[in-house]
Amino acid sequence: MFVLVPGFSRSWCLMCPFPIFSDWFQRKRLVSVRQGKPEGLGLKWPKQLKNMWVMNIGFLVTTFFSGLFTVKPFATFVLLGGIILLAFLIGLIFEKRTFCLYVCPVSGFQGLYSQFATAEIRRKNPELCKNHKVKTCYVGNECGYGCPWMLTPFDFKKNTYCGMCLECFKTCPYDNMGFFLRPPGVDLLSDTPKEPRRLDEAWKAFIMLGIAAVFFLSMQGPWGVLKDMVRQATFKGWLIFITLHAFFCLVGIPGIFFIFAYLSKLFSGNREVSLRQVFINFAYTLVPLGLGVWIAFSVGIILPNGSYLVHVISDPFAWGWNLFGTAHFPWTPVFTGILGYIQGLVLVIFYLFATTFGFRLSKQTYPDLNQAKRGWIPILVFLTLVTILFLWLYLG
Amino acid sequence: MVIFGVENMQKKELIAIILVILSTVGTIAGIYGIENYRRHKFYTVELIARAPENGNWYPQQLKIPYGTKEIRILIRNIETVTHGFAIPDLGIAAGEIKAGEVKVVRFIPNKKGTFPFMCTVWCSTRHMQMRGELIVE
Repeated sequence: MFVLVPGFSRSWCLMCPFPIFSDWFQRKRLVSVRQGKPEGLGLKWPKQLKNMWVMNIGFLVTTFFSGLFTVKPFATFVLLGGIILLAFLIGLIFEKRTFCLYVCPVSGFQGLYSQFATAEIRRKNPELCKNHKVKTCYVGNECGYGCPWMLTPFDFKKNTYCGMCLECFKTCPYDNMGFFLRPPGVDLLSDTPKEPRRLDEAWKAFIMLGIAAVFFLSMQGPWGVLKDMVRQATFKGWLIFITLHAFFCLVGIPGIFFIFAYLSKLFSGNREVSLRQVFINFAYTLVPLGLGVWIAFSVGIILPNGSYLVHVISDPFAWGWNLFGTAHFPWTPVFTGILGYIQGLVLVIFYLFATTFGFRLSKQTYPDLNQAKRGWIPILVFLTLVTILFLWLYLG
Repeated sequence: MVIFGVENMQKKELIAIILVILSTVGTIAGIYGIENYRRHKFYTVELIARAPENGNWYPQQLKIPYGTKEIRILIRNIETVTHGFAIPDLGIAAGEIKAGEVKVVRFIPNKKGTFPFMCTVWCSTRHMQMRGELIVE
């Protein structure tokens, strides 16, 4: 996912099988298009929950059990089976892809980090959409379904909630939808009344940064005590772990960031912009930085353990098969001697992106250039400190 | 459009449903069928390696017939730690069996009796209890 997201936005959601059973149920079709009212109750998701909070908490709670899900096949089965079942049940009760939009634990971070992606699905010609009175991309027609993600493909500006299902390509009679390449991070600077920057998305950025740090410490760090806590060697240890982990992600990081946001407002000398707005706007600097941290973390998993793939494709069930003659391929760590440097390099690159977008966000936050420059300093310090902390972790 | 009394739309759906069933249920049933046949044809017995706290060897007692027929034990390490396998009395050792790895031990049981087998790699704090017995009768 951390290869797909920066390059191709939410293309994972395009191929994700989780909601397929609810799709089939609602449509009563597998491949063709059925017009009319979908099956199921088709209720609307509660307005108070139309945000990322359920996904934020859901993903965080999932990580409480990372010591099981990542090493025990049955636990992985329970997790994935549970998600598929939940997606189906929500599909019975609520409309369209409610599960993907508001519940799926994977969806939140995909959406947040896809704001940085170098690809997007957008309308080609705005004038065509403006003059097209029947918004078939939203309501559907005989060629396809109305946007399952309940977006308005004719005018949305951000990747965050576009699951790239391509239904709008089918329903547009003018072939006016396109898949475009773009510079990274364009969405970070977008803040419209229809798609504003939001507190729930900001918290998602904090949580993801916190989880990345905890994952690194527990999976790639040298601290056996922490590993024992995460893998539930004792119940008490695990309780301590989830308490600290939850506090760190939900309160610790946002709290520290709040201090720097307060300093930013103080340094800027601006009295009109609210502290809340400063806090939310600058939280989006953590999108590129968090993405870099996660890519570096993934590199730390792939390079030492990627050779298992060669073995696994020949014997996927560990039954003694040798489909492609590679079942006895030995575990071969790659470039682990320079792993820390590779991780460090990835992080520095994304730190540079974060600082670049950070200053632009500062200029959007404060109307005066001098205010923006002064207000940017504490946030730059925060980003630099976080980067140094992770560099210390990676390089030892 | 109607073909053989079935609307084209319905026909497409029917084909899709058949393909979905074939690719899911069919694949699973096929894999299990082939594996079942393979196990019976190529291996005498399957032995699963687990640390004592996770259930120990399964089965912990193997019974094989005395004779001249070659015995093949399929040893599967289903855990995330390395295990080993040896029957010292019969001079058999499989060496290291890494996480998710499968090894096959072949021998002709030309001695009757009860022989202990054990894990030969330090796999847990209860490694010394990871033992079982092979009965040749």
